Amino acid sequence: MNLEYSGTETIPASKDAVWSFITSPAAIASCMPEVQSSTVVDDRTFDAVVGVAVGPVRGKFTFHVVLDPSPDRSRMGMRISGGGLGSVVDLVANADVAESNGVTTLAWKGTAAMRGPVASIGGRVIDAQAKRVIETTFANVKRRVVATAPGG
Amino acid sequence: MSTTIEPAPERHAIGVRMKRKEDPRFIRGRGTYLDDITLNRPTLHLALVHSPYPHAKIVKIDKTAALAAPGVIAVLTGEDLAAHGLAWIPTFHGYDKQMVLAVGKALYQYQEVAGVVATSREAAHDGAELVDVEYEPLPFVVDPFVAKTDEVILRDDRESKTNHIYHWEVGKREETDAALAASEVRIDERLYFQRCHPAPLEPCGALADMDPATGRLTIYLTSQAPHAHRTVVSLVTGIPEDKIHLVSPDIGGGFGNKVPVYAGYVVAAAASVVLGMPVKWVETRTENLTTTGFARDYHMDVQIGATREGRVTALKVTTVADHGAFDAAADPTKYPAGLFGIVTGSYDFPTAFTELDAYFTNKAPGGIAYRCSFRVTEASYAIERGMDILASRLRMDPAELRLKNFVRPDQFPYPSPLGFVYDSGDYHATLRKALDLIGYDALRKEQAEKRARGELMGIGISTFTEAVGAGPSKHFDIMGIKMFDSAEIRVHPTGAAILRAGTKSQGQGHETTWAQIAAEELGLDPQNIIVEEGDTDTAPYGLGTYASRSTPVAGAAIAMASRKIRDKAKKIAAHLLETAEDDLEWSGYKFRVKGMPDNAVTMQEIAFAAYTNPAPGTEPGLEATYYYDPPNLTFPYGAYLAVVDVDRETGEVAVRRFLAIDDCGTVINPMVVEGQIHGGLTEGFAIAFMQEIRYDENGNHLQPNFTEYLVPTSLETPKWETSSTCTPSPHHPIGAKGVGESPNVGSPAAFVNAVMDALAPLGIEHVDMPLTRDKLWRAIATAGG
Repeated sequence: MNLEYSGTETIPASKDAVWSFITSPAAIASCMPEVQSSTVVDDRTFDAVVGVAVGPVRGKFTFHVVLDPSPDRSRMGMRISGGGLGSVVDLVANADVAESNGVTTLAWKGTAAMRGPVASIGGRVIDAQAKRVIETTFANVKRRVVATAPGG
Repeated sequence: MSTTIEPAPERHAIGVRMKRKEDPRFIRGRGTYLDDITLNRPTLHLALVHSPYPHAKIVKIDKTAALAAPGVIAVLTGEDLAAHGLAWIPTFHGYDKQMVLAVGKALYQYQEVAGVVATSREAAHDGAELVDVEYEPLPFVVDPFVAKTDEVILRDDRESKTNHIYHWEVGKREETDAALAASEVRIDERLYFQRCHPAPLEPCGALADMDPATGRLTIYLTSQAPHAHRTVVSLVTGIPEDKIHLVSPDIGGGFGNKVPVYAGYVVAAAASVVLGMPVKWVETRTENLTTTGFARDYHMDVQIGATREGRVTALKVTTVADHGAFDAAADPTKYPAGLFGIVTGSYDFPTAFTELDAYFTNKAPGGIAYRCSFRVTEASYAIERGMDILASRLRMDPAELRLKNFVRPDQFPYPSPLGFVYDSGDYHATLRKALDLIGYDALRKEQAEKRARGELMGIGISTFTEAVGAGPSKHFDIMGIKMFDSAEIRVHPTGAAILRAGTKSQGQGHETTWAQIAAEELGLDPQNIIVEEGDTDTAPYGLGTYASRSTPVAGAAIAMASRKIRDKAKKIAAHLLETAEDDLEWSGYKFRVKGMPDNAVTMQEIAFAAYTNPAPGTEPGLEATYYYDPPNLTFPYGAYLAVVDVDRETGEVAVRRFLAIDDCGTVINPMVVEGQIHGGLTEGFAIAFMQEIRYDENGNHLQPNFTEYLVPTSLETPKWETSSTCTPSPHHPIGAKGVGESPNVGSPAAFVNAVMDALAPLGIEHVDMPLTRDKLWRAIATAGG
């Protein structure tokens, strides 16, 4: 099954501060919920072991995350692939990054393809979980950026 | 619940509503199923690793982490099996081969990729999670109409680089096309019989025990055909058949699902041989639903020609069959599309033609005979839906259309245009009985009144005919083994007996009905005849239980073995009564001197004499074995009527009544028959309204558990009404035809016909199964209802 999500997040910080944060593998890894361990592979890549509890699928998933920022600093891409417990998840997400009056906006869109037992659980369960993960991640990013930004 | 099948009063065992002899142990929880079996030495456990992809190259399998896990003894892959010549095994009919564990690439989601053997089941499953398989996803196809294009080729192991497996046809193509072209009225409807699954409550399993001291491999197996499985194991492994002991214990439902050979069986056996220790594999629910034999998945284009007066002139059915990744359909060797030729059903078509093309897709392989005789359910659904659609076009009552076109009683034995010779039947009498019992005219009147009020009420009819009892050896074999069956009866000195057969009950009640047949033939007490099946060391060779073949074939063997015993008993009786054999007659369950009926001996007396006072010139003892090769199939039939109300606001269907009248010839035990019908109708209800295995755009199997693949409980299941007519089979020794599968064969069309009849005022003519609430709600909404 394929799941598609999109939204717009605003962070009361400069684009530079936001850009610096979201292009850091270590910073992004620290904002994802249920991360049990993470390993930064290089300046654009990290691996993470994540605790998953979606319906009857409960255990550890291992993800390989690749950050793909555009050279002009206007668009941030992210590819996540991995899985566990016989399931595979591939996620591609992009965010357009823009600043206005000291507030940075992330207009994002993501598509997740799932294979295996997790796919059979269906949107009714995964939707709620996915939204919780997205909300938590953005909330953490916002909190951390604001806390570390000049004047924050 | 109405139960009106009456016993035959003149008989002492056949036709008697005898309680099932096996039930006391089942209802006390004393049955011995595969997972109940424990051995008196340490046993290892097997868990399997499955592909998450529908089609993927296997780049690497890293066993390191799994082998380091606590309790893990071994990790087996397809490459490991290849070293022992076990990477591939032949499919059911031998036309194709299938991977045991994926070699090179995985061809469907959940395909078995590796096996982990450990000291406990938990350790094996934990170890399986640690097997690191690197895949390279490949393009896939899960739609047979896309597979037809050959843009993605699944089976590059085959010489022919196409997804097309075979073309099959029977009948007169040109004559049928001409008759259809000339017909005054013609229907042409695409009907999809969805992929579904037998889903037995007990999943499949094996306990393989290679004894290094004896060199003998004992396999306890959830097997509907233990002898056939022993032969397959011997042929595939090269182990002599005497060194293989296969035992099929109590089985918690089979429905065709426990006929094929599965990866877990082979890996458990191979592991036991290699490790010299017992290895047990018990499937999970998900493994059962995603990897073992599915059923149906036929896309059928049904064309019927008729006169304006409603006389059918021709039938043509063109089918696209989805077989999944291997051609593992369970069909006799000469019948790649099973007995689909029964598609002319109960009707006297002047001409007919049917053809079928089968394709590989990236889906689990199968096409097993789910409670039907090799594709008979698909055929029955096609013709019974087709006849209702024709009635709708003709604006004719569907009962009237059927009565006008039934094969008449005087036409039997009836040669069908597609090659069968139906043995017996009186279709008119059976349908008329059904119409009378359900109060058809009153229901039509009620329906008219409801329609005037805008309410949706429907009456559905299905008057199916099956072809069962495979089968005559001149036509039927599986991998060359003729489809006879067998019985061995030993009468003990006191008149008790043991009866062994080549079949294997999975709930059919053989321990009771087999005893009843022998008891009827021999004048013994069925309570004192013990029945054994499923142990290849003791039971005579037979092809097993599926496709409604047990009573037509093994049941006949039991009657014939009993008659052999009776022939010998007659010699002993003549000795005891000091008369000539020709002066004796078998009457009232005794041998009597003709003209002196009180001068008689019972079978018990004869049995005692067989061991204590044998007749001069005869062998001591009283036993016989018979291998029965049926001269023809049998053709049970029925008239089923469903009455439904459909809520036009929600799409909810309420099945108000369902009447099943079955004619299975001679009834051995009416209570067992009614139980079979209740179970089969419940399965048919589930297929019609709840069940479908679907795959999504990523090749995901979407029903891998009972949350998604629904099994009806007593809350959803309608109340069943049953009755019968009886036209015995003229060629079966006791006139029996078989009944276990009739309700699954006949009921889906009755349900769908009822719902479509309810929706007719909205102009809706057909909706494919399952008729779920949301699907019907959308159809009603689209139709402006």
